[in-house]
Amino acid sequence: MTETALKEGVTGALSAAAVERLALGEPGWLRERREHAWDVYERTPMPTTKLEEWRHTDLKKKLDLDALRLSELETAPDDPTEWPARLRTTMEEDEEAAGRVVIIDGHVVHTELDASLVDQGVILMSLHDAVDLHGDLVREHLATVAIPAEDGKFAALNAALWGDGVFLFVPQGVRLELPVRVTRWVSEAGTAYFSRALLVAEANSQVSYVDELLSPDFDAQTFASTAVEVFAAAGSRVLCVSVQRLGRGVFYQSMQRTLAQRDSQLDTLNVALGASVSRVDLNARLLGPGANSELLGLYFADGDQHFDFNTSQDHVEPDTCSNLLYKGALDGNSRGIFRGIIRVHPDAQRTDAYQTNRNLLLSRGARADSLPNLEIEADDVRCSHGATVGALDAEARFYLMSRGLGPIQAERLVVLGFLGEVLSKLPLAGVVQKVTRVIEEKLAQQG
Amino acid sequence: MPENETIQDLNLDEYKYDFVAKTEPVFRAQKGLSEEVVRQISAHKDEPEWMLEFRLKALKVYESKPMPKWGGDLDSLEEVLDEIYFYVRPQEKMERSWDDVPEEIKNTFEKLGIPEAERKMLAGVGAQYESEMVYHSLREEWEKQGVIFDSIEDGLKNHPELFREYFATVIPTADNKFSAMNSAVWSGGSFVYIPKGVSLDTPLQAYFRVNQERMGQFERTLIIIDEGAQAHYIEGCTAPVYSTESFHSGVIEIIVKDNARFRYTTIQNWSNNMYNLVTQRAFVGAGGHMEWLDGNLGSKLTMKYPSCYLMGEGAHGEILSIAYAGDGQHQDTGGKVVHVAPHTTSSIVSKSISKGTGRSTYRGLLKVHKGAHHARSNVECDALLIDATSRTDTYPYIEIEESDAHVGHEASVSKIGEEQLFYLKSRGIAADEAMAMIVRGFIEPIAKLLPMEYAVELNRLIEMEMEGSVG
Repeated sequence: MTETALKEGVTGALSAAAVERLALGEPGWLRERREHAWDVYERTPMPTTKLEEWRHTDLKKKLDLDALRLSELETAPDDPTEWPARLRTTMEEDEEAAGRVVIIDGHVVHTELDASLVDQGVILMSLHDAVDLHGDLVREHLATVAIPAEDGKFAALNAALWGDGVFLFVPQGVRLELPVRVTRWVSEAGTAYFSRALLVAEANSQVSYVDELLSPDFDAQTFASTAVEVFAAAGSRVLCVSVQRLGRGVFYQSMQRTLAQRDSQLDTLNVALGASVSRVDLNARLLGPGANSELLGLYFADGDQHFDFNTSQDHVEPDTCSNLLYKGALDGNSRGIFRGIIRVHPDAQRTDAYQTNRNLLLSRGARADSLPNLEIEADDVRCSHGATVGALDAEARFYLMSRGLGPIQAERLVVLGFLGEVLSKLPLAGVVQKVTRVIEEKLAQQG
Repeated sequence: MPENETIQDLNLDEYKYDFVAKTEPVFRAQKGLSEEVVRQISAHKDEPEWMLEFRLKALKVYESKPMPKWGGDLDSLEEVLDEIYFYVRPQEKMERSWDDVPEEIKNTFEKLGIPEAERKMLAGVGAQYESEMVYHSLREEWEKQGVIFDSIEDGLKNHPELFREYFATVIPTADNKFSAMNSAVWSGGSFVYIPKGVSLDTPLQAYFRVNQERMGQFERTLIIIDEGAQAHYIEGCTAPVYSTESFHSGVIEIIVKDNARFRYTTIQNWSNNMYNLVTQRAFVGAGGHMEWLDGNLGSKLTMKYPSCYLMGEGAHGEILSIAYAGDGQHQDTGGKVVHVAPHTTSSIVSKSISKGTGRSTYRGLLKVHKGAHHARSNVECDALLIDATSRTDTYPYIEIEESDAHVGHEASVSKIGEEQLFYLKSRGIAADEAMAMIVRGFIEPIAKLLPMEYAVELNRLIEMEMEGSVG
């Protein structure tokens, strides 16, 4: 290797020593994987706004890695009565689940899974336990073909420093009727959290995975990084939902990659409501004929929130389909960035790929940037994309006011209707209700 | 198209502008770009001192800027540029009558149909051969009304104040690497001034021809449409096919004043060994109306994004772009609209066709600055792919800083439908003719805005390119 180590972003806390501490007691292959990832991290320059994908999020201004520390908490309370009230309340709202995981400050404090599913071979546990109990499965899938360290600066950082996460495995033909719910809570200001989720759905299985992130508001910048790797084997149906409700002061950095094999249906929904900065990199790969992915996104920013979505739809094999719909409302001085790309690879004939991004600007100070891109290298395709940015529909508001609603109520209703289009595509009624209620709450705060 | 004429009968399957005139230039600078070359160009033009200084400064800016890493493949361009002649002077002075233009050069333009077109339908004609305008004329009736249509050099000589007031104000030297290069070595191009309230009812046309091998052409055009005036300017470009690469880099600056209307039409049909890197921009005043009609059919690589800066309230900008990328071609084109003032409107319509190993890219920017309230804009891009090896990309940038704005972007990519082809064939139309018909239908919304002769030309070209494309 002739490249010299740049060591950008290597700090007192984010260091080779921290990697070694985490690797203590782990199997050799995992230690090597962490060390390799750290090596990649040191050699990879910090992304700058000169890079197309980071043009609108200036890390120099938005992220101060030097000030971050790693949590020194050895454990977190596993007794629900000691959990923060907000965490408990939000969990109580969730209707029945096939299984649950609760993660507090990076520690998995609770896992449960329906006994009949355990009997059928479904696995739901902390990633650490999975390394011990299902080493081969984890070794095959963790930071290998989905989000390897080579993916970029943050992929390398997460692969080197992840503390814990979720492992979900659904064997061939097993179908979960109810969703698996993960609730995460972050409590320490000024810390950096690195977590991962690994979802492996075997042929003809079915599962929905709902991940909700919560925290209080922080005075000091807090960094939450997650890497979600989803494998959907032939004929499986997988739905992955992320509801981000973190407090102000958080820099949320999420990487998600979905690999859809032949005849599988692999859908995602990203809901962004919280955090000061939210950056989501989502890549959907369609790897076998008949594979289909829906990419849904919904965001509502206010104050000085800064949301940056970077999505890509990779059609690698023929006869695949993907459909993206991201809608956002921007209020206050907030900023929304959507950068999406459809790539149709040379062999991917008969691809159907669509991409729509719509933005609603609710105030003079808000700003939206939309960059929907297409790269098409096959000829027998149907692809389209559309993007709009506009103000609230005055006519719709006027109509509602003529029916007796006040101006504020009317505006809220129009915003809910605008964002509701995304939720209407989601088959999980409980999630739809909850997200609707959270948006209503946020709208009410604008008052 | 007459019924008995099939595509084969048209015998158009060659680039018909591939002929070389045996002209001897009166001066040719050494190969490559250097301060000496810049000084030679300036000396040949007998320019004022400030222009030489402007050129030398631009050369420094050019040297300091890195090669763009986006867009087309420019990896081998630096080598190409070392072999290029940046300045070739074809004759001693510019003529006002075709009779005085040297025989070989005149024959070239005769073959391209320029003098004939002038007689028929144009208000004025300019013709550039290699680095200089060899011919420029304007109908007397327009001259009397104060219209100026001249070579850029004569613009500087004869109207120094007007020239200096606007030159390099729309596209500053440092705008990009190639605008800096053009600023250093510019030669040829038009200087146009339409006085207040004057409406030209027939177009002005400039024709650009590169004849020599390894030639670099650097046209510089400055157009001022004064308040309430109207005009239409057409440029056409061709060159013979050589095995080595040639280079064309123009800078076109346009000022459309309040309530003026202007349309700039380009039919770029350079040979497939030409790098074509052009910067075109218009500032549009209140109530003004600017239209770019941009047809890119030739060249090896074109990177060109005509832009409208809507500076005055109620200004309107329109970009209609059509690109055809055949084997080995990359058309990286599109448009930019920047809304600066309130109540401004714009529309971009782009259509591209990629065939063989051709690649067409739409790259566009739509920006609404804070304060440009009630801005409205719509962008539509459609791409047609003919073969499995063809490629198309769409990179629209949308940046909105004003809540009270409405913008939209739509793009679609498709293949010619089997059903459409089957239907036409069932009506007794041969496969390649049917293909050409569908493609013509696809580009119709843009072709219908072209002057008749160009519309016919475009249709013929499509027919010729579609030949044999049905396997």
